[in-house]
Amino acid sequence: MSTEKPPVLHAADVHKSYAIGNRRIEVLRGVNLTINAGETVALLGASGAGKSTLLHLLGLLDSPTRGEVQFSGEATSDRSAAYRAKLRNRHIGFVFQFYHLIPELTALQNVLLAQMMGVSVLGYWRARRRSHAAARQMLERVGLGERLHHRPSELSGGERQRCAIARALLANPSIVLADEPTGNLDSQTAAGVVELMFSIQRERDLAFLLVTHDESLAQRCDRIVRMKDGVVIEQEQVR
Amino acid sequence: MIPAFSTFLALRYLLTRRINLLCVLGVAFAVWAMLIVDGVFTGFVKNIHTDVRSSSPALLLTDLPHDTSYEALREQLEADPDVTTTAPRLRHHGLLQAVQRSSARLRAESSQLEFDRARTNNGFALLLGIDPLREPAVVDLEAWLSRGPDQIARRGRIDPRATVFDETDLDRRSEMLVPDAVEHAARRRAGLPRDADASRHRSAWPGVLLGWPRVFANARASAGDPFDVLCVAFPTEDASGAVMRPHTTRMAFAGWFSAGSRLFDETTVLVPIETLRTMLGHDAYDPNSVDLVTDVAIEPRDGMTQDEVEALTDRLRKIAQALLPQQANRCSVLNWREQNETFLSAVAQEQAMMEIVLFVVMLVSAFVIYTTLHMMVTQKVKDIGVVAAVGGGPGGIGTVFLLSGVVVGVIGTALGVAAGILSAVWLNPVNEWLYAHVGVELFPRGLFDLDEVPCHLAPEWVASVAAGAVLLSVFVAVLPARKAARLDPVTALSYE
Ligand SMILES: Nc1ncnc2c1ncn2[C@@H]1O[C@H](COP(=O)(O)OP(=O)(O)OP(=O)(O)O)[C@@H](O)[C@H]1O
Ligand SMILES: [Mg+2]
Repeated sequence: MSTEKPPVLHAADVHKSYAIGNRRIEVLRGVNLTINAGETVALLGASGAGKSTLLHLLGLLDSPTRGEVQFSGEATSDRSAAYRAKLRNRHIGFVFQFYHLIPELTALQNVLLAQMMGVSVLGYWRARRRSHAAARQMLERVGLGERLHHRPSELSGGERQRCAIARALLANPSIVLADEPTGNLDSQTAAGVVELMFSIQRERDLAFLLVTHDESLAQRCDRIVRMKDGVVIEQEQVR
Repeated sequence: MIPAFSTFLALRYLLTRRINLLCVLGVAFAVWAMLIVDGVFTGFVKNIHTDVRSSSPALLLTDLPHDTSYEALREQLEADPDVTTTAPRLRHHGLLQAVQRSSARLRAESSQLEFDRARTNNGFALLLGIDPLREPAVVDLEAWLSRGPDQIARRGRIDPRATVFDETDLDRRSEMLVPDAVEHAARRRAGLPRDADASRHRSAWPGVLLGWPRVFANARASAGDPFDVLCVAFPTEDASGAVMRPHTTRMAFAGWFSAGSRLFDETTVLVPIETLRTMLGHDAYDPNSVDLVTDVAIEPRDGMTQDEVEALTDRLRKIAQALLPQQANRCSVLNWREQNETFLSAVAQEQAMMEIVLFVVMLVSAFVIYTTLHMMVTQKVKDIGVVAAVGGGPGGIGTVFLLSGVVVGVIGTALGVAAGILSAVWLNPVNEWLYAHVGVELFPRGLFDLDEVPCHLAPEWVASVAAGAVLLSVFVAVLPARKAARLDPVTALSYE
């Protein structure tokens, strides 16, 4: 059992429904979930269970229809889109199944993009050396030291995902939300990426939410959460 | 604050899309066209105004009944302290025909109406009777007479300047008589009766001054040549009803003039007012005759303000009206603009039309920017989701596309303004070079009797075109930017 740590994200009775025509689809029906600092949580469930939806809500990309998502104990649903964007930028890193890199930008620029959010052009320019050094270091850490100036189209799938990981981690967030990060990779590459993520998680003592279909991968996390039809049906503390 | 990522992404998107170059060029072209075409047009209009101004007296009393006498009007008008002087004018329609010995030549050169060329190839003329002693005080006749031969010299023919106003004998000057020897020589050339002894000849034909465009129909005219001038007097009543009395007078060609306004020069010929009065049945020696005028040209005192001139105009009109018979129509006093209102407003209207056309060009290029940005937003939906996930707020995301529009607009405008100013400076050298080396003229100067293409770029016009172009590109960027800002990040991320 891990010692008690402060919660980073907390979902309190979160509901999410979509209106399609005049029909409402209840995707999440009252989810309660807490992720504490430095904790790794695996989120499992059949396709369509609402995992990605929950991940987007926890990442403040979307707002629940009902209920509340708290970040570090602070309610977020009544905050402006700009404020929530700022929280995402400073504290939350995303890793997606399909990498989601910007094709026009090089690996280095994709990583640097996160550094350009909260600052003016001038502010960014003043700090550019430091940001560049940090981004380069981050890319070296994920093994892309030789690929800094390659565009995503010039990188392999594994390399792209490493680049996305570097981007998610550059701002030194308190939590990383990963939605099937290895779903699009062959098993060998996937293993490499997983090792990378877990080693960085340990180094930095990050909180980590990992959506996956892979039971053995889930077993490496501190806790396993299972969802079905929009509700959490089981939480299992692994270690 | 504009977040750094907005600027960075906007520039990346612009640089990786060649269509944006097209947008920049589109804006540049529209701005350039607005500057240069309007500049040339404004230059032409300025020229036209100068020309029209120099062909008209400052004020003109007109719309008088056609039996108005000058003397009474003159006294009263000149009594006004703001009036420097006045001059009588008598307008009447007439026909003009060179008297030539050879009937074959006459036939070859006989009057023809040529509608396809803007040239006076016929004998119709607006006879303008002027008092050669008074007229120089109301219009710059000196300039008219020297510009006439200048215009003709430009077409490769050297003609002397008319001298009829230099005549020292006032009686002879008021008839615009050519020197005795000149008339004698002309009679000899035309085979007309003359004194055998040239030194005893005295000029008898009143002079006529032709507008320079008539040179095309009278290429052989030289000083003193006889012209028959025909006009029909106002109908008079007699026992059998109204009769028309045609009257022909032989006059001597005295030279060319150019008042400046093409319209005036093509239609008008200048004759001594007394000669025209006689032709209309009011001979100066007839005690019942009237010193007829149709208009009175008025020269106000120098240095009057706009308001003072307007007050004077009003005053003069009332003075004149009071002197006219009770049943007379309302007379008017017109300034030079009003005298040429139809022509000037046609020119102004043309300029307005052209500005509208140019504005449409501008709108089209703005529309190209709009569609390009809109397309960019649609293509970049996924990127927008990514940027949002990484922490870009809606404002910053909208700014990406707004900035794209602004950058395109600003660069295009800057290029357009630079190109416009450069072409204004190099317009004439390039035009001349093309004419000399390639044989084509971008702007046919000959068509407008100009030495060089006038181009007037008013700084206010440059500034307002530039501001307009930038504002327009900002304006068309707002909609795509709003669309981008309002995208839901999750929807954007899962966009296929
Ligand atoms: N924008 C939307 N509008 C309507 N329905 C939606 C929308 N987004 C998700 N859904 C529905 O919500 C349900 C849950 O979707 P979600 O993506 O969260 O599932 P998931 O658990 O991540 O599945 P997978 O393992 O296949 O990724 C699905 O049935 C989906 O059709
Ligand atoms: Mg999913």
